Amino acid sequence: MKLLVVEDEPSLLNSITRYFRQEQFLCEGVSTYNDALQRMEDTQYDCIILDINLPGGSGLQLLKYLREDKKKDGVIILSARDSLDDKIIGLDYGADDYLTKPFHLPELSARVKALLRRKYLDGNTTLDVGILRVDLAARSVTTAGQPIPLSRIEYDLLLFLVTNKNRVVSRQAIAEHLYDGPTDQAPGPEFVYSHIKNLKKKLKEKGCPEIIQSVYGLGYKLVV
Amino acid sequence: MLAGSVFFYLVLIGHIRHMKHQQLQLKQTNFWTAYSHDTVKVPTALTGEYNIIPGEIQGDIESDSANLAYMRQTHPLNGRPYIVTTYISAKEYRHLLIKVGISEAVIFVVLLIAIVVVNRSSSRRLWTPFYSTMSAIGDYDIRQNKVLSLNASTGIEEFDRLNHTLLALIDNVNQAYRNQKQFTENASHELQTPLAIIRSKVELLTESPGLNEDTAQLLQEINEANERLSQMNKNLLLLTKIENGQFPDATTIDLSQLVQRLIQFFKEYYENEGVNTTITLEPAVQITANPALIEILVNNLLRNAYIHNIPNGWVMVRLTQTALTIENSGPPIEGDPSRLFDRFRKGRVDNRTTGLGLALVKQIAQLYQYDIRYTYVEGVHQLQLSFPGA
Repeated sequence: MKLLVVEDEPSLLNSITRYFRQEQFLCEGVSTYNDALQRMEDTQYDCIILDINLPGGSGLQLLKYLREDKKKDGVIILSARDSLDDKIIGLDYGADDYLTKPFHLPELSARVKALLRRKYLDGNTTLDVGILRVDLAARSVTTAGQPIPLSRIEYDLLLFLVTNKNRVVSRQAIAEHLYDGPTDQAPGPEFVYSHIKNLKKKLKEKGCPEIIQSVYGLGYKLVV
Repeated sequence: MLAGSVFFYLVLIGHIRHMKHQQLQLKQTNFWTAYSHDTVKVPTALTGEYNIIPGEIQGDIESDSANLAYMRQTHPLNGRPYIVTTYISAKEYRHLLIKVGISEAVIFVVLLIAIVVVNRSSSRRLWTPFYSTMSAIGDYDIRQNKVLSLNASTGIEEFDRLNHTLLALIDNVNQAYRNQKQFTENASHELQTPLAIIRSKVELLTESPGLNEDTAQLLQEINEANERLSQMNKNLLLLTKIENGQFPDATTIDLSQLVQRLIQFFKEYYENEGVNTTITLEPAVQITANPALIEILVNNLLRNAYIHNIPNGWVMVRLTQTALTIENSGPPIEGDPSRLFDRFRKGRVDNRTTGLGLALVKQIAQLYQYDIRYTYVEGVHQLQLSFPGA
């Protein structure tokens, strides 16, 4: 899968490209408007991660050109501004998703993968991870044919870990991901562990081996 | 004018007196001359004119009596003194004085009234631009960021100058105010990027192969501090925006649905801690406000109720047309309850909250004039939010 990251802050650009390369993506990074324009004209990407606050030209302008050229690259907008208007405008211009800074890398990763699933797997809505099978449409999980009864939060949690399999996901990232409310007002991660505990218990009850690991208290990892 | 009238009157009195004196004196001279030439044919008295009797007085006498004025002098004839008294009618003079006096008074009063009236009305017209300027300035509120419009060509040079100067002043003040607002917002935005960088580096570090328990501990502490910074920054930005009136769009919100949705999350999220939740919501409670702000308001109140709780505690949420009440079990807060909603003031030392959550609640409540009341009685925290005139 080919990714392009357009971000003017070099340090942040490095973090993102490095993270996705660790996930076996082909990931290119550019930090100026003109470079981005060039790359987008030359290549077709599966997903473009686009910072809309670029020096030398708005990221929204790039998006506009992209859509005017009828290009089908998926676009996720990154923005330092948490304005609802920006979000609506961005989606209006043809973005597929919108994330505000600062964000968690696992969250960005989950969004990219969700976008790619929508793009390439329509019709096929199941995800097989190790011995787990996730039905994305039905929001249910089975293992070896056996359904695992999960609460809404537990399902979201498992899907998040599955999407970021073999990667460490911090408790904060989980808390923010699970949260369904006004942005920036997520509750603390203090009770994430109890949901993890329940999830582990339910998986164990259905005969799953211990696939969710705690990583030194930093976070959790689903290992396959 | 008054002085002039009085002066004129006094001069007139003086002149009349002089005239009377002259007349009387003339009569003295004429009648004595006539008598002294022929004491036989000329009578010694004529009623209303003169009177001659032998005798002598010291000096001259001149006086008024009833309707006559008289003068008495001594004149000698053939070595013998005679007192000559001449009379003139004082009535006409008196009437003249009275008529003049009255006329003057009337003219004075009429003129006075006319002057006052003309002055007032021309003054009113003259000062209209001034009053309209005063009114425009009185109504001006810098926070509403409107343009001040003053008439720059009133036809009166002084007011034109005044208006020009005022417009320039307001312009400067507006600029400074905008810069101030912008600065806080910009500062907050600038902070987002380094915060994002720190977070991303820590996340990458957690993937690094050399990770051990020690380094993980350090990373976790960095993470937590960074998260608090991040949260504080977001809240500060929000507070600033609210103070700057940047959330004007108010729509009708179904508060019952909103509270239901939010509390559903908290209920599930904190279920495992054994916190028992009771919800009583009147359906279709509606308010008019900015939806994003109300979500934050309710969210922060709920979050507080769950965080500042005890294991196996409880939370009760009740919504009616007039108020939202949230009660929860929990340990007492330290410090003054009335200062609870100040920025950065926390009820307990608890590094899970930034202390800005309730400040946000207060700011939003103030914006829409909701009344907040907080009490702590026998282990129960109660917070009530009342809607105005619902």
